Amino acid sequence: MTSNVVGVFADPQSALTAAGNLKGAGFGIPELMSPVPIEGVEAVLGKKKSAIKNFTFFGGLIGGIAGFALAAGTAVLYPHPVGGRPIITMPPYLIITYELAILFGILFTVVGFLVSSRLPAIRNRVYLPEAAVDKFVVTVPYDDDDHFKRAEAILSNAGAEQIRQLGEED
Amino acid sequence: MVAETNNLGYTDIHEDVVRSIVKTGPKYYIALATAGGTTLLCFFFPWFYQLYYGIGAAGMNHPGVWGTYLASFIFWIGLSHSGTLLSCVLHLTNSSWRKAMYRSAEAMTLFSLVVAATYVMVHVGRPWFIHWALPYPNQMELWPNFRSPLMFDVMAITTYITGSTIFIYMGSIPDFAAVRDRTSGWRNTMYTLLSLGWRGTDKEWHRLHWAYTFLAVLIIPLAVSVHSIVSWDFAMSIVPALHQTIFAPYFVVGAIYSGTAGIVTVMFVLRKYMGFERYITKLHFDNLGKLLLVLSLLWTYINAVELFTSWYSGTSEEYEAVGFKLFGFYAPLYWEMILFCAVAPLLMFSTRFRTSFMPMLILSIVINIGMYTERFLIIATSLPRQYLPDAWGVYVPSAVEVSIMVGSFALFTTLFLVFVKIFPSVSMYEVKETMATPKLGSVAPASGSPA
Repeated sequence: MTSNVVGVFADPQSALTAAGNLKGAGFGIPELMSPVPIEGVEAVLGKKKSAIKNFTFFGGLIGGIAGFALAAGTAVLYPHPVGGRPIITMPPYLIITYELAILFGILFTVVGFLVSSRLPAIRNRVYLPEAAVDKFVVTVPYDDDDHFKRAEAILSNAGAEQIRQLGEED
Repeated sequence: MVAETNNLGYTDIHEDVVRSIVKTGPKYYIALATAGGTTLLCFFFPWFYQLYYGIGAAGMNHPGVWGTYLASFIFWIGLSHSGTLLSCVLHLTNSSWRKAMYRSAEAMTLFSLVVAATYVMVHVGRPWFIHWALPYPNQMELWPNFRSPLMFDVMAITTYITGSTIFIYMGSIPDFAAVRDRTSGWRNTMYTLLSLGWRGTDKEWHRLHWAYTFLAVLIIPLAVSVHSIVSWDFAMSIVPALHQTIFAPYFVVGAIYSGTAGIVTVMFVLRKYMGFERYITKLHFDNLGKLLLVLSLLWTYINAVELFTSWYSGTSEEYEAVGFKLFGFYAPLYWEMILFCAVAPLLMFSTRFRTSFMPMLILSIVINIGMYTERFLIIATSLPRQYLPDAWGVYVPSAVEVSIMVGSFALFTTLFLVFVKIFPSVSMYEVKETMATPKLGSVAPASGSPA
């Protein structure tokens, strides 16, 4: 069980300031929850990198190879010459290649998204339903009372409307 | 855009969208029952009749072995082209006016595709053998012929349905989460599952942004390829009037054209009957009108090119095909199409016309009637009119075919009516992005910037 201190803000700028101050004061990287993506998060909390692009790229690559292998491979398995033309005919097989490259690219992007954003969520995590409507929430884990008081001070200085404690299953 | 929504707050859109899902009036049930009943009566009943008595129940016979089933198939695939494609292009070009309308536009894509796929089943006559089209070897170890445009179709359309479904679902995850918190009972369970436990953390938003962008980049070339491939079903034959290199761009432009007109129709209905007047505004109709105008000019140009290349070929069968199209049995339909799709849209040069809702609705329907005619003519003026005059014929659809055509619109409407009660039909989080962000202790400024 991890304990978290949670600050609820009415506007994204103060939430972002609070998150930056918490990070500066030596807390772990705070987590923001918001109804819309907040601009400028990366400037405050550090650059984010995701592996999705690799999933998309290799998905497309695997799909392309699979598509060509399907069309050309099956033609070779059961050769059926038509009018002396080649068994592996490039123009039509490239279309199959193209379609399957896109199909696999899409499917792998979805897998990449799920893996890198840790969804679907299996355990219960800190969440406030207001964060889906019009509130901006900053969450940071704390160890003891002293820690909690410091975090509380930082959050209320930044203009938090409410400060709560929420537990999270490990 | 901003000027029109900045007096609305985050909670307004939230309430409006949740209300559109959970509050259902008797009018909705009447509409659903009518659409569902019409689907059953006009679509499924004639189809079962055709299955029972055989494909002869349809008016297709030698030489017109393709009929309205295929024309409708092209029409519905075409109608599907604007939603996801337009949404992807506008997403990548950062057009914020897309945000209020793209969800329902994408739904249109999805349901048109479902209807189109159903038409394939209707057309093949023995749909229980549809798995023969899938890539697997039969008992003789023979695989399907991947050189056939029909196999390209199978590949392209399955990819397109998969891609569009994933795209609309991905974009809806944050909204499912928002609706999840406001519902109870079976709805809550459904939205909990659909939202995957989305919380709206900075990390999740970042991942969603990139995944969504990659999907958009993948889907644009896919959508273009789908209708090009549908056009090759025809253009790769050696039938006069079909064997044309212009066919792929012709189909793609026609598809986006009729799809955009379809979006105008759907936007009108959503605005009027689902209470989204404050989000779907004149600006959307104005922008869609400009797009439609450009597409109509392109479409007219391609039609002129098609006639020119036929004439320039200097072959008697092409002359015959063009003559039959312009002055033959179906000539009234041809000129109706020109009037509806090339002449009437010129009205949209006027800003006043583009920003008037009712005229735009009428024009959008007129354009789609014209576009349906176009697809019908492609089939009806080509196959029954090939090289040898003693093999000529005239194709006229049977009652079963006409009924199924009417029923397919009811099927689409039914699916769409179910959609508006399950999906948040306006994207909440993206409309919120276009609104001024809430400021501490101050009223929202007069002009916020779109996020």
